[in-house]
Amino acid sequence: MNEKVTINLWRFGILIVGVAAWEWLTGIKAVSKIPGLYFIDPFFVSRPSKIVERFVYLNSDKVRLTLWQMLLSTVESTFIGFFVGVSTGFVAGLVLGRNDRLAKIFEPYIIAFNSLPRIALVPLVTMIFGFGLLAKVVLAWLIVFFIVFFNTFQGARSVDPDLIHSARFLGATEGQIMRSVVIPSALAWTFASLTPSISFALIGVVIGEFIGGESGGGIGYLIISSLGTLNAADMMVSLIVLAVTGIVMALGIKQVEMRLLRWRPEYQQR
Amino acid sequence: MPRVRIEIRNLSKTFREGGREVPAVSEVALDILDKEFVALVGPSGCGKSTILNMIGGLVAPSGGQVLIDGAPVVDVPRQVGYVFQKDTVFPWRTVARNIGLGLEYRGVTGPEHERRVGEAIRLAGLVGFEDAFPATLSGGMRQRVALMRTLIVEPEILLMDEPFGALDTHTKLNLHAELLALWEGKHQTVVFVTHDLSEAITLADRIVVLTRRPGRIKMIHEVKLPRPRDVIKLRESDEYAREYSQIWHVLGEEFIPEGG
Ligand SMILES: Nc1ncnc2c1ncn2[C@@H]1O[C@H](COP(=O)(O)OP(=O)(O)OP(=O)(O)O)[C@@H](O)[C@H]1O
Ligand SMILES: [Mg+2]
Repeated sequence: MNEKVTINLWRFGILIVGVAAWEWLTGIKAVSKIPGLYFIDPFFVSRPSKIVERFVYLNSDKVRLTLWQMLLSTVESTFIGFFVGVSTGFVAGLVLGRNDRLAKIFEPYIIAFNSLPRIALVPLVTMIFGFGLLAKVVLAWLIVFFIVFFNTFQGARSVDPDLIHSARFLGATEGQIMRSVVIPSALAWTFASLTPSISFALIGVVIGEFIGGESGGGIGYLIISSLGTLNAADMMVSLIVLAVTGIVMALGIKQVEMRLLRWRPEYQQR
Repeated sequence: MPRVRIEIRNLSKTFREGGREVPAVSEVALDILDKEFVALVGPSGCGKSTILNMIGGLVAPSGGQVLIDGAPVVDVPRQVGYVFQKDTVFPWRTVARNIGLGLEYRGVTGPEHERRVGEAIRLAGLVGFEDAFPATLSGGMRQRVALMRTLIVEPEILLMDEPFGALDTHTKLNLHAELLALWEGKHQTVVFVTHDLSEAITLADRIVVLTRRPGRIKMIHEVKLPRPRDVIKLRESDEYAREYSQIWHVLGEEFIPEGG
């Protein structure tokens, strides 16, 4: 059997065993005579069968906002925050990375702002941008911007000066050097920051949804309102959906990265 | 009397590194004529790259100056092409797009661009590799790309810093033959840095031998071998052996370890 199949079988096996144990342990009584006292209490961790049931229910037309609509709201805010964060972070990183004086001037501000825990900004951002989509996007942006900025900045700094010199000898103008040398070499660094960025964008959005309430909607809102009703099954549904969304988005980024960086030896098929 | 293209006047360079002064080049004076192929040879670290960088306007001299066609070099001169010691092929561009860089920068597009790139790829023997990325090429192929990328914009002056330094003898000889054939066609003024004496004799009209660091001119030797040269047969000839021993006699002293 080849390695890949073995690994996938193991993965699948662990999933099956885990889910089965979960279902079983939350179904048997710890002390048989006392009613309702389970070995593991499904009140806190729910049960797979219950989760599936709630999943179906949350997607039916019995609810005002379906799970799917809430997911779309979360994904939409994540993507907008991600794209705005990546583009502004990239441009800022390039500009400061290639301009020593500007980099020196802004250094203390950037360090100060970056050492601020982003989560501490949530109430302020909500106060300024309200309870809707905008606040979530701004939160995601604030996180993504700095990740991408620092990586691109490093990338723009570490461009091989001999590549720039050789472009100059081939007659390149400053603008052409930027486009044909600096940006492509910095991109490799920028891309390294995109996978963590999308995960952090999602974190920012979910936190925003915790605070944002019903008008913001989203999976984060579903989680926090399940806390209000002490509904572990709905929380589990949300967590699983978020985990799958995170994986899908990270894989998508990886695909784009492989396409754009196919010149790198590690992405070349043998 | 052919005109002087590169005039090197008492050129010196001292690097300052954290309070320490490293004299790299000392009082080098040399006139390089139009269409001349000059080789600079000397031990590692004697300042060969530094001299080339000063001719190319990448490093400012500490003393003296360089004139190209009578004008002092301040920035990267227009008529100069430079093949670097380090691999400077752009890894994110295919072979064809690397070779076409200079044309792209100059705004040459369309069929004219295609034609000239195609021609260069043929000359470099890289047909079939147009769309390959540099990471998949051998060292010799990458050097061919670097050479063609420089030659495609037809510089009149060519600075080459140990372009074949990292290659095996066989590949090196092939590239010598190719370089000489190209040079016979265009007769660029070439300054070719190497620490390989056989390479210098094979290619150059004149060989400038430098001392250990700080580099000074120790000897200037005219290579009297007729052109066009056959890089393989040349090495068997008595004239080649004679040239070699004459220069080696002087250059060899520089390879003796200091104090030894
Ligand atoms: N930017 C720099 N800063 C400080 N010292 C330098 C710098 N560039 C070169 N040097 C020093 O100057 C001396 C000459 O360097 P150079 O690169 O010109 O030698 P080279 O003859 O080209 O050697 P090689 O054959 O190994 O390439 C060396 O001692 C080197 O350490
Ligand atoms: Mg050198």
